[in-house]
Amino acid sequence: MTDLRAYLIAGEPYYRPVGDEVQVFDAAYKHRLPVMLKGPTGCGKTRFLEYMAWKLQRPLITVAAHEDMTAADLVGRFLLAPGQTVWHDGPLTLAVRGGGICYIDEIVEARQDTTVVIHPLTDARRMLPLEKKNELVPAHADFQLAISYNPGYQSAVKDLKESTKQRFVGIDFFYPSAAIEAEIVARESGVDAATAATLVQIGQRSRHLRGQGLEEGASTRMLIHAGRLTLAGLALSAAAQAAIVLPLTDDADLREALGAAIAACLG
Amino acid sequence: MLADTSAAGRLAAALRPRPALAALYQQAWSAMEDENAAEAWAGHVLVLLNANAGATCLTTLLRLRAPAAVLAQTAAFTTDICRHAGAAAAVTCLETWDRLRVAGLWPGFVLVAQCAPECVAGLAANAAAVVQAVGGGGFADFAALGLKAAGRDKARRAAFFALNDPLARRALAQGEGSGFAIQERRLKLFGTALWGRIPALRPLPAAEGRPPPRRTSMSDGVVLLPDTYPGVPPAAQAALYRAAVAHALAHLMAGAPRQKIGTLKPLQLALAGVIEDARVEALMLRRFPGLRHLWAPYHVAQPEGGTAPALLARLSRALFDPAYEDNHGFIAKGRALVAAADPFDPEACRRIGGLLGNDLGQARVQFNARTHVVEPAYRDDGLGLWDFGDKAEAPTEMIDLMVEAARVRQEAGDDGRTEQGPPETAARARAVAAPQPDSVLLARYPEWDRTQGIDRPDWTAVRAVPAVMGDIRRLDAALDSVPDLRRRVARLVRAAKPGRPQRLKRQPDGMDLDIDAVLDAEIAREAGEMQGERVYRSTALQTRDLAAVVLVDVSESTRTGGVLDIERVAVTLLAEAMAGLGDPFALMAFASDGRDQVRLTRIKDFAEPFAPPARARLAGLTPGLSTRLGAALRHAGAELAGVRSFRRLVLVLTDGEPSDIDVPDPRDLVEDSRRAVLGLRARGIDAFGVVLGTGGAENAARMFGRSGYVALRRLEDLPARLSDLYFRLSRR
Repeated sequence: MTDLRAYLIAGEPYYRPVGDEVQVFDAAYKHRLPVMLKGPTGCGKTRFLEYMAWKLQRPLITVAAHEDMTAADLVGRFLLAPGQTVWHDGPLTLAVRGGGICYIDEIVEARQDTTVVIHPLTDARRMLPLEKKNELVPAHADFQLAISYNPGYQSAVKDLKESTKQRFVGIDFFYPSAAIEAEIVARESGVDAATAATLVQIGQRSRHLRGQGLEEGASTRMLIHAGRLTLAGLALSAAAQAAIVLPLTDDADLREALGAAIAACLG
Repeated sequence: MLADTSAAGRLAAALRPRPALAALYQQAWSAMEDENAAEAWAGHVLVLLNANAGATCLTTLLRLRAPAAVLAQTAAFTTDICRHAGAAAAVTCLETWDRLRVAGLWPGFVLVAQCAPECVAGLAANAAAVVQAVGGGGFADFAALGLKAAGRDKARRAAFFALNDPLARRALAQGEGSGFAIQERRLKLFGTALWGRIPALRPLPAAEGRPPPRRTSMSDGVVLLPDTYPGVPPAAQAALYRAAVAHALAHLMAGAPRQKIGTLKPLQLALAGVIEDARVEALMLRRFPGLRHLWAPYHVAQPEGGTAPALLARLSRALFDPAYEDNHGFIAKGRALVAAADPFDPEACRRIGGLLGNDLGQARVQFNARTHVVEPAYRDDGLGLWDFGDKAEAPTEMIDLMVEAARVRQEAGDDGRTEQGPPETAARARAVAAPQPDSVLLARYPEWDRTQGIDRPDWTAVRAVPAVMGDIRRLDAALDSVPDLRRRVARLVRAAKPGRPQRLKRQPDGMDLDIDAVLDAEIAREAGEMQGERVYRSTALQTRDLAAVVLVDVSESTRTGGVLDIERVAVTLLAEAMAGLGDPFALMAFASDGRDQVRLTRIKDFAEPFAPPARARLAGLTPGLSTRLGAALRHAGAELAGVRSFRRLVLVLTDGEPSDIDVPDPRDLVEDSRRAVLGLRARGIDAFGVVLGTGGAENAARMFGRSGYVALRRLEDLPARLSDLYFRLSRR
């Protein structure tokens, strides 16, 4: 029996529900339907999944997808031991056997021909064929698959296959409303409510510039980082500059405009 | 007695027969302290004397008092002017300089004296106005602009220096450069960040015969900003523009509809404007408290002065700045009324403005709506608040103002500026009405002025000329005559066939192990079989991410020797290759007829396939006119700027000799093309020249750089070389 206890989440991760995402995930999990989390970077997708894994008391196995990822990286491969070859389960197989939640982060980064290995797991079959080993692994009753992707990155090259997309239940993530986001920033970074509200204001300024030279506005994560910098003694303007403006863009005009807009938010 | 050989001694000797001058000279000499400079000065005066400058000129010069070094320079410049334009002109210049005492005058005077001696007096007469508008440093530039714009047209030259030419007026109105053009993008981004929508910002053009606008004007969501804030130093303009945009946004975000004027008098309207400004700013400050720091420096009114403008400025400050103390009853009443009003009621300003206006009316405070300028400077003129539709009731003065404002807006709104202009501010595209019905103005571009070493903004106009459809069959026949070449190009295309980055497995070497290959090799070894050594993985970069614009020179010089016919075949082959590779590309032909007529014929756009219509346009090209290469290059760059590709390339087919009818010295255009190429390079766009014939090789090296061109001695080589070249360039 595969032991996944190391992948269990010990304490309750902080997660502030924004809509009905917890109910949707619960319902999907009840029927073991695979879930797709959509949304811009840094708005809480990964944290949500950690929270759900903790809530459901399931081990969480996370795989960050990348361009060079092969099916073997997900499923597993034979490795060499003295005098023999030994099969080594990949993270997906591990979760399938042990009944964990397998979370493939930024799945569009992987090549489309890699991602098709999840297909037999995500329909009525619920099994993983290990072709090289000539083994058919039936999914553990508790196994659940979740993927995330950021529609902002979408391009003609990087998109999910239609046959992949249609296997998932979707949950849309976006930056929460100002009040909730301020609550999150305050809680995660430790700053007071007023500073958190100002940081959220600043974040919204940058999000307005999406498509005007910015690929993406400041994420909640960025705002939390800025908050932590202020706690460490930086002035709010310097923290915003360091944690938000500089990482976001190299365009001088954009930096200046964003800097001016941030200055407008600071009393 | 030995003759004194110093310049001073020789000058004294030369002046001996002219006692009046000699006396003046002695006085000037004794007023000087620095002996070396005085000696230099005497040398220059001596030269001037020997140039037969005449008594008036010498007298004027000798009467000047300034540090010796300055006087020495002045004498040298005067000599120069005297030689070219005569003593009378030199005297005028001296008097003008003495009056204004701006060092920057001299280079301008000398330049005009050399190139247009008859205009020196005219320029000197207007020097004060020019210096006031463009500063001392801009004076020579202004003079050079006039000389360049007028060319050999003496009447236009005279009109320019008499400031009767529209270009001269525009140059003066723009002052020390257009602040708005420099700030436009930042302001737009700033506004978008605050508002969440892209604000419509436009430059407010100067109306004919009126002073340039000094305040923002708002009209139905469009924010019209002055081209520059006269009298505000360039370093401070950015903050002022930002403050003005933030104020305009305050109005836009408060979103009040236009209100009927009704029976309000001009002063009441002005007061209502102040009240409304204060209301929207207060609302804005609730959301963006930091804007207080942006606006505060412009509220400089002091509790003194009882005129209408002073009271308006005091009221503005009192409503903005809670810490401001002002005990005037009128101000206190204004504060109280505003404090009692509902901040979300846009109509409150009418009522309060009316009440306050009555008070001032009873106190017989005079108000002139025509000359009134809103203070502080970042605020708008307030006319956007009012609905002037009901003209019968509105005061005639206001109607006049409104009509003028509306006209200005019309000009600003209808100019149809192209939004796809290049991002660099210097090359900001600005469209104006096309003089010819068959051509559409695409954009205006700056041109490099070689002699002055500056960019002349908006100097050239690039116009789109519709293509003529030619006979495809002739083109096809020409292509069929070179079957080998076509096959070779097709082979090259196949070899370079684009693909995704390929992961190569089972390689003899590479960055990391191909784990599956290693396993196979080990298993093979265990089984006693031949083991493979190809156990590595590597990636091969076979991506193509290149976009190109091919510019074809179709000027008159391509008529001789069938150059254009061969260009056509070569371009067709190249286009087929690029289409086969899947590289996005555009084909354009260019020729010019003066700086206002750089004619561009679009053969194929990026999005269009290289299909029969594009081939027909290529076949329909006819030679004619001149080669203004720089403008064509800039436009190609602007088109490429919108294409997202890792490599961007402008490929130019030309005879390498730029020329145009209004440019006497071809070096001007060579230098301008060089600047254009450098400009493209700075934006990550490669420009490469294919120069036909050997004549233009030297120019080509200058324009494109040593490794940026090939010269083809034999024209027949072009079709083969062009495609080869493209493959070489695209691999680089």
